[in-house]
Amino acid sequence: MNNFNKVPVTILTGFLGSGKTTLLNRILTEEHGRRIAVIENEFGEVGIDQGLVINADEEVFEMSNGCICCTVRGDLIRVLGNLMKRRDKFDYVLVETTGLADPGPVAQTFFMDDEIQNEFTLDGIVTLVDAAHIDQQLGRSDESTEQVAFADVLVLNKTDLVNDESVDNLESRLRGMNSMARILRSENANVPVDTVLNLNAFDLDQVLQNRPTFLEPEYPFEWTGVYKVEQGQYELTLEEGPDPNMSLVALIDQEYSEEDLNSSAEKCVRLYADDANALSPGEVIAFEKHIDLQLMSDGQKSFFLEINKNCNLGLFTQHTAEEFDIKLLSRDSEDKNMEVPVTFERTWVAQHEHDDEVGSFAIEREGDVDIEKMNAWLSKLLAEKGVDIFRMKGFISIADDPRRFVFQGVHMLFDSQPEREWAEGERRNQIVFIGRNLDEEAMQDDFDKCLV
Amino acid sequence: MSSVNLIESKGVLRNNWNIEVDDYVIACEWAEGGNILLVGDVAGGVNALDGKTGKTLWQKSSIHEGNLLAMRVSPNGKLFATSGQDGCILIGETTEGSVIETIELGQGWVEHLEWSKDGMSLAASISKNVYIFDCKGKEKWKSEQHSSTVSAIAWSRNDELATACYSKVAFYDVIENKTKQTLQWKGSLISMKLSADGDIVACGSQDNTVHFWRRSTGQDSMMSGYRGKPSSIAFDSTGKLLATGGSEIITVWSFENDGPEGTTPGQLCHHQSFVSDFSFAPQGKRLASGARDGSLAVWGLKNDGHGGSIGTSQMSAQVSSIAWRKDSRALAAGDARGLVVTWKVKT
Repeated sequence: MNNFNKVPVTILTGFLGSGKTTLLNRILTEEHGRRIAVIENEFGEVGIDQGLVINADEEVFEMSNGCICCTVRGDLIRVLGNLMKRRDKFDYVLVETTGLADPGPVAQTFFMDDEIQNEFTLDGIVTLVDAAHIDQQLGRSDESTEQVAFADVLVLNKTDLVNDESVDNLESRLRGMNSMARILRSENANVPVDTVLNLNAFDLDQVLQNRPTFLEPEYPFEWTGVYKVEQGQYELTLEEGPDPNMSLVALIDQEYSEEDLNSSAEKCVRLYADDANALSPGEVIAFEKHIDLQLMSDGQKSFFLEINKNCNLGLFTQHTAEEFDIKLLSRDSEDKNMEVPVTFERTWVAQHEHDDEVGSFAIEREGDVDIEKMNAWLSKLLAEKGVDIFRMKGFISIADDPRRFVFQGVHMLFDSQPEREWAEGERRNQIVFIGRNLDEEAMQDDFDKCLV
Repeated sequence: MSSVNLIESKGVLRNNWNIEVDDYVIACEWAEGGNILLVGDVAGGVNALDGKTGKTLWQKSSIHEGNLLAMRVSPNGKLFATSGQDGCILIGETTEGSVIETIELGQGWVEHLEWSKDGMSLAASISKNVYIFDCKGKEKWKSEQHSSTVSAIAWSRNDELATACYSKVAFYDVIENKTKQTLQWKGSLISMKLSADGDIVACGSQDNTVHFWRRSTGQDSMMSGYRGKPSSIAFDSTGKLLATGGSEIITVWSFENDGPEGTTPGQLCHHQSFVSDFSFAPQGKRLASGARDGSLAVWGLKNDGHGGSIGTSQMSAQVSSIAWRKDSRALAAGDARGLVVTWKVKT
């Protein structure tokens, strides 16, 4: 489908008090060259100070056939249909839902209504989460759970009101529920506008162009520290810790904006996938290499770093600095063992078990699928479980077809298309499901039966 | 305003004049027995154009804050009413454009306006409420609050008004202030038209069906198979033919004899994109239709709803409004870029 002239729409969801209006105002006041029309479903406590704001009462319309995937939002159809008559006035639409909105009908409106589909394209679903309160909300309300499950981006807001450990635990819980969403942390909804707009999240070609997977990575490292260093020799010391060895990647020129950290993190995920070079105490740590520090010996261990220019040094370590009391010392300073303070540090969320009713998992397999078996399985699955499958994204390798096949679904709505041809050695299958009480094991087995 | 001379018309259509207004044409309607064509655009501009020459007689701009949503000329052609996103209704007279009354209904969009057949009452819907005013803008009646936003209104008699909203059509006796009849259908009704005698109620539904009821017998039926939602529907002047949109094809059902149940409808094929608006001629079985790609066609129909195109033309963008002059000898249409074209129509 040609989305070229269509107006992108971002859906902003989140419970009352999660900071939707703050984020909305931030987006509207920031210079980004877009003229944004806002459809507001809630009279927030904070007013919105911009021209094109339209208030609408949420009206959820079910169809006579009772099918949940045909349920749409009548208010949006009416308001968007009217907005289209003045296309010269705006080039982007933001829909702010109430805290209690089910995101399903909102998203479905963009696929079920021919007039809307003709003029608009759903760019992404952004869900704000109040770090201090979401834990209780998730247990109590289906809506907040579904808002998390549907999201392309989860903004973990008000992180300043809870301690780091709670934020980490919360992030891991959210990750368990939705492994496709990008998770951002913020204090006052202060996330860069480009991380929530123009995501092309429903344009799978676009999504896969930038990265080879639909899954947000679960990081093989727990800690990043950034140090301001000058040209010279440095010593990294580790005390005795919980493990006899520890992986590490060192990067030069590491900046510490969210964006820089995330892009380095992705790079490190790839580096961590390489075989590690075992390094004994006293040896020099190479940059941009997966290093495995050997820590079997007793007492403090030292490794060395040769820095050839003034820059920021980034360390991505398998365990937190605290566990080994990691220190960076300058060897060239007058006081030989002067400690270099950490300019910036953060922790990453490692893989976790989860016990929420709503969860996500991925089927990842080598091999080719038989398209007829695959169609039969998916049709049956969506007919039986469509209500419980919130979102689904996947690409598959079809036997005897040179092209990569991509597909996605929202409940029972399903959209698939052949994409570019596979590159050498690239063929594989990945399907990510987000849903309620899905039987992962059975679904994995059923998929295996579709393989040639 | 500039004039466009590139329009090529065929068959019974002969170009008369064209003109461009400032914005998307919401409605064009003939007034004063066809001497005036009134054009309302989305930016709140109203242009009164000489029916014969297209010369501007009077002009108003930005009469509503936000978008203009509806404009209707009264049956005798003397009055017009407009409504907008500002929650206001404006009643004016057509020859000079002087405003008789501005009615403020408060926050909400006034999306639908309909004059009663005797021209004595103006019905208007805003969100979940419906009001009736006299010609001077005095409130005569107000409905109870509907369960959802009112999607269409229509007069069945001078004292009886029909309203449609999600899952329901209701008929109100507006003199006695009573609900006379309620027709239920679990679905989102997006358009509603009544046959000339008020007996047949036809509604387009969001789920790509057309549902209709015969009020006298209570018999109802559903027509499915539409590719898109039938937001345009229209009865001819006899109430025997029902034209429905919802795709590139116009489907015409005939209520002759025992139809339309069990009959094959007329399928009018000419447009290459979805039909956006159509209108039956006040006399005879002719239909004029426009589509999203700006194509326009006039159709000659038989009693069974079948027929073919007898005239075609092309506008510059989506045809947004089509109006026949009362004598069925002239046609006007407006499009999404503000182009207004009139044609003489051969009989």
